Amino acid sequence: MLNQIGNYSLYIALISSILIIIQSPILLNRNNINVSGRIFSLISIQSLMIIISFIALIIAFIVSDFSNETVYNNSHTSKPLFYKISGTWGNHEGSLLLWLLVLSIFLLIFTITSKNLSNKYRILTLFFQQIIILGFLLFILFTSNPFMSLFPIPNEGTGLNPILQDPALAIHPPILYLGYVGASIIFSSSLAALISGSVNKTWAKHIKNWVLVSWIFLSIGILLGSIWAYYELGWGGFWFWDPVENVSLMPWFCLTALFHTVLILEKREMFQSWAVILSITTFSLSMSGTFLVRSGILNSIHTFANDPSRGVFILCFLFILITLSVFIYFFYQNKIKNNFSKTYIVSKEAAVLVNNLFMMFFLSVVLIGTVYPIFLEVLNNDKISIGPPFYHKLIVPFMIPFLIFMAIGPNLNWIKDKINKINLQQLLFFILSIIVSFIFLKRVGISYLLSLPLFIASFFLFFITIKDFSVKKTNLSQKISHFGFSLFILSVLINGVLAKEYSSNMKVGDERKFLNKTIKFESLKINENKNYQSLEANFKITDKNNSINLKPEVRVYDQPQTITSEADIKSTLYSDNFLVFNILKNDGFYNVRYQIKPFMIWIWISIILISFGGILSIVKKNG
Amino acid sequence: MYGKKVKLRAIFILSIFFSLILIIFLVFKSLEENVVYFKSPTEIKNLTELTSKKIRVGGMVKEKSINVNQSEVNFVITDFKNELIVNYNGSVPNLFEEGKGVVAEGFLKDRNFLTAVKILAKHDENYMPPEVEEALKESN
Amino acid sequence: MVKNIKLISVVLLVIVSFFILLKGLNKTNNYSPNLNSSKIDFNFKAKFLYSDEETTLYELINDKDFSIINIWASWCLPCRDEHSFLLNLKSLDKLNIIGINYKDNEISAKKFIKELGNPYSKIVVDPSGVNSIELGAYGVPETILINNNSKTILKKYIGPLDDEKFAELKLIIKNEN
Repeated sequence: MLNQIGNYSLYIALISSILIIIQSPILLNRNNINVSGRIFSLISIQSLMIIISFIALIIAFIVSDFSNETVYNNSHTSKPLFYKISGTWGNHEGSLLLWLLVLSIFLLIFTITSKNLSNKYRILTLFFQQIIILGFLLFILFTSNPFMSLFPIPNEGTGLNPILQDPALAIHPPILYLGYVGASIIFSSSLAALISGSVNKTWAKHIKNWVLVSWIFLSIGILLGSIWAYYELGWGGFWFWDPVENVSLMPWFCLTALFHTVLILEKREMFQSWAVILSITTFSLSMSGTFLVRSGILNSIHTFANDPSRGVFILCFLFILITLSVFIYFFYQNKIKNNFSKTYIVSKEAAVLVNNLFMMFFLSVVLIGTVYPIFLEVLNNDKISIGPPFYHKLIVPFMIPFLIFMAIGPNLNWIKDKINKINLQQLLFFILSIIVSFIFLKRVGISYLLSLPLFIASFFLFFITIKDFSVKKTNLSQKISHFGFSLFILSVLINGVLAKEYSSNMKVGDERKFLNKTIKFESLKINENKNYQSLEANFKITDKNNSINLKPEVRVYDQPQTITSEADIKSTLYSDNFLVFNILKNDGFYNVRYQIKPFMIWIWISIILISFGGILSIVKKNG
Repeated sequence: MYGKKVKLRAIFILSIFFSLILIIFLVFKSLEENVVYFKSPTEIKNLTELTSKKIRVGGMVKEKSINVNQSEVNFVITDFKNELIVNYNGSVPNLFEEGKGVVAEGFLKDRNFLTAVKILAKHDENYMPPEVEEALKESN
Repeated sequence: MVKNIKLISVVLLVIVSFFILLKGLNKTNNYSPNLNSSKIDFNFKAKFLYSDEETTLYELINDKDFSIINIWASWCLPCRDEHSFLLNLKSLDKLNIIGINYKDNEISAKKFIKELGNPYSKIVVDPSGVNSIELGAYGVPETILINNNSKTILKKYIGPLDDEKFAELKLIIKNEN
């Protein structure tokens, strides 16, 4: 029953999609206001149908309707309700349906909110967006239909991957998708603006909101992914430069660059071509993200079982879109009048340009690191992986000038500023940060050649962003985001320099010394839970003044049978105590890893601040 | 005014051009230094010279080969043709078990001995890391 | 002119990366090891699923020209997909299909067979997975085609059977002799 509802609604959505695509070119040439009403109702129907099919899938998961193959493969009656619901998008088919859902809802919102813009631009945007929707509909219906029926109906499902039974990971994909899909609107609308010759201030003003929305969701999505990796993967880090993580970071760099460019475009009508190129790139990267993750072409710590035929479809679709946009860009490029003429080296525009260059550099480093192994394997048959040192070596040295630019840039004036504006006050802060960094590194006892300038630059940015709160000139949301970023860099650095790790194999009752602390493996007990058994250990960490108990778990899930480790983390404002243990073999040894991670909580807080700046900017504009 | 415009543009293009060259050079240099190659025990046996660089070895954890003491985990990686002894000091993933696929990252001491710095295993226990699978396949 | 060069180079870049990714896609999923010459250990001992007797692979593959050893488990989803192919192969009279039930519990294994039908002439169990590893198995499902007379592996498929592999299997059986 639910399967039929889901299937038919998807087919109706497919028909409306085709109708819209056929109608748009015809409507384009008439300047009748009424015509957009017809398209609007088609879009509403389409969104409604997709919402219905998505709800049908959620209900199938909630009532454990195992006549549905997706439910059978990914759910189990004994699962808690929350994970039954999150199971809806915790698999390939469901996650694509979610993509589609967000695509169509975003398009609906776009249609409603763009009423005061030109008809041509709106219809063109709808047209491109419909092509994307059509691609996804075909993909879902013909290669990964979530509404396949099973007969005979099994009486029990096979369960959701226990790794996915986690609150952060349950909401991580939808949030990330909101970011990715927001990029699709940016893509369609930039192509539409290009063709209709309206890459101008009005367009910038309109698209800025979309850029912000997708940027915010992407930031929060990445944050959730890192938090999950932090306590679930048990390595104690929050970023591993794993291909799947990189794939979400690349569009983020692009969006950040695009946002700054759009600001310039809105104020000064400059960098139009660049804004269009960035829009196209952002969406291509989001799509390739989906492709790389879903096709299994990447060897990552978190890819799931996959199917190559699906990969071929996304790949072809992705490259059709890219080729299409490249041709459109080159064909209509001369409609744009770029005015380079009034750029001065010391101005806000130039500062944004510098920001963009840095973003593009970081982006290329991550891109090369991610795809190089694939290319090398195909061309040379070498199997390789690229580890964190590659990224650190290339990104860290460039961080130093980047941070300094970021401190100075936002305070520059539009059009032209005087060089002596880089003034006494800033110089004082710079000297202050030299002193602070020097004292800090001295006390910690680290004197890397690289860490001193890095600390100086990040303290400098930190001080300047704090000071900027007292300046009235720039807006509050920018101050918050920039301050968040400086806090982020500083916390990451301090965390990196001061983190301590100890790992050992211990039996129950063993005691180990680490720094000035004693780690005691006190006891082990077994808990029965609804869908898993857990082995809960109790460790006591004692130092001179106080002691804490950490209770990490090893969980044995029964449907399907899988073992996961749950780290126990005690957070304070200064540092996190992180402890995770693993079963080694049956002779009583457990593999124990204890970490002290200073300022960990500030990393999360700073990312929230960065996103909050964005949210504030949207709220302020509309409220 | 006009001269200034042209000059600015020239400086801009030149600086982009040079930074591009510099970046490409840096990226490839760094790639060369930081690439970790993936080999099977058999491929290591057949190496003409040992690298001092970090390497990844994949295969199966040999049955009854895991040996644990206070600070170390020792085990043997096999591809059913050749074997490699691994010495490791650190934490292991949950899916690390005898008879299961494993990837060890570390430094070769000789053709039979690897000091590992990291042990990796896959999330999904029904499937092997593709690289392990291929390595095993090739050695067969 | 400059615009054309730009356009052509961008398009070239796009095309080249498309083909490399396409090839990369096939690469990670390309399972067809060439194992013509490999010998297997025919002396491994295992218990039957439906009785407590012990047997060896040697006894199992005795009677016909070819054997297929299929490693499966009730918890393995791809096994469900490939089951119809096995049922189909059952009709070949030169062929003997032996199932190895991998790391499974007896009740769900029997339920699986009852639900989907039994293509196997004999089923042995491998609760620890050791026997399967000694056969050189990487996981489930896996299908090994053996020439009973020469005692060699003709073909080995990692992952579920599909139309292509199924056709190839039939062809090999037809051509050998």
